[in-house]
Amino acid sequence: MNTTDARSPDCAEVYARLQKISENAKTFNRLVMTEAKIAQTPKEVVWTLNKAKLYHYVPVLPVEKQHKIPLLLVFAIMNRPHVLDLRPGHSFVEYMLRHGYDLYLLDWGAPGPEDSKLKFDDYTLEYLPRVVRKLKAVSGSDTFNMLGWCLGALISTMYAALRSDDGLKSLLLLTAPLDFKDKTTGGFIRWTTSDTFKPDSIVDHFGNVPGEMIDYGAKALKPVENFIGSYLNLWDNIDNPRVVEAWHAMNTWVRDIIPMAGGVYRQLIQEFYKENRLMEGTLVLRGERVDLARLKASVLNVIAEADHITPPCQSEGIMDRIGSQDKTLLRVKGGHIGIMAGSGAEKSTWPHIEQWLAARSH
Amino acid sequence: MSQTSETFDPFDPTGMFKAMREANLDAWSKSMIQLVNSEAYAQASGAMLDTWLTNSGPLQKAMEAAMAQVLANLQMPSRGDIIRLAERLTNIEMKLDDLDAKLDEIQRTLGKAARPKSKSSHAENPG
Repeated sequence: MNTTDARSPDCAEVYARLQKISENAKTFNRLVMTEAKIAQTPKEVVWTLNKAKLYHYVPVLPVEKQHKIPLLLVFAIMNRPHVLDLRPGHSFVEYMLRHGYDLYLLDWGAPGPEDSKLKFDDYTLEYLPRVVRKLKAVSGSDTFNMLGWCLGALISTMYAALRSDDGLKSLLLLTAPLDFKDKTTGGFIRWTTSDTFKPDSIVDHFGNVPGEMIDYGAKALKPVENFIGSYLNLWDNIDNPRVVEAWHAMNTWVRDIIPMAGGVYRQLIQEFYKENRLMEGTLVLRGERVDLARLKASVLNVIAEADHITPPCQSEGIMDRIGSQDKTLLRVKGGHIGIMAGSGAEKSTWPHIEQWLAARSH
Repeated sequence: MSQTSETFDPFDPTGMFKAMREANLDAWSKSMIQLVNSEAYAQASGAMLDTWLTNSGPLQKAMEAAMAQVLANLQMPSRGDIIRLAERLTNIEMKLDDLDAKLDEIQRTLGKAARPKSKSSHAENPG
């Protein structure tokens, strides 16, 4: 369309353009309101407990071409784990299966009212050990590697420190919120450590913290981008099928919000954000002190340089505290989700993870 | 769909907004991020949330009590009853998982015990 043309558009042209706008508006509405097919890689449920499920992905390579040590994926507790397997052709799960990994995914599920008292103690020392036990039984391997993302990385780290003799060989941490010493970097820590913010009142009122509330909090960290920019980007690119498909899949995942168990939320704000107990060495789960020096597995700590949810300063500090001899810090350009699910992830992040892990999967 | 900020197209409904965006969105975004990361915002949003929770709490409790009474009068289980039942089911699931662990262990032990035997039987019968 040449907008500098002095000629006025004739009726047919005006009609065609209005029709195009109408079509685009319909497409836009459909994309915003409907769900894309995500998490399509074939998998089977091998274990369930309460709302939690352990999936085993169907391998795509013959056994002799697979790595011997299985990999357990542990995602955060306040979102669905589908972002690891976003859409065919752009899926971390697919990528790792193609590289011969025996993959397991832990889906924590959505807590119901009866789960409002669940704490990190339960996720770390009740659920995760059972998952590991089942993974070992199904895979036939006594050792395993684990990848934790966001709060999944926090749980994985605590587990690795508390159960260092449970067969964990390598631990991959992605955007792990672990160190809350700096109370001024990042919106979440500013809001939640303010003296007017009362997590007890929230939990007492709701039981479980509503997904909408957590979702709003995450989006409010970058309000213009999340509430306006994302939709403008879709409108601008509505004729580009690649962008549209990626946007639709991501929006489907973002919209699928789940609540966070009240006990975990209370603990996260009080014991982690406010008191920084993990790094101070004062965190106790079910009577056991979490001593990071006892974490002996190999560690790859992946940090997103532009992470506004887990600022890099919340992930870096652990490197000096853990007892691992083999530890690597990897900085990747991108945001909290973008480094793993963005369009450039297949080149900028996944190969680094795969190569690091390949050397530790035999 | 694109349009430069120097021109105006009445047939592109987002045109005006896009032109404005090109000029201002970055600055707007930065200032909003700065705002939500400020101490004043943290204090204000915490206070607003707390006020809302304080005011709506008594109403919520009154409604819960009234609903529990209605359900009791109708001889129906309350929300609390169902939550307690669900908690018991989870405990039963945990016991089942403990049993499953034991079965896996037995299977594994039996498998280990059977392996040398089958090897020897192969050795005895190479054909």
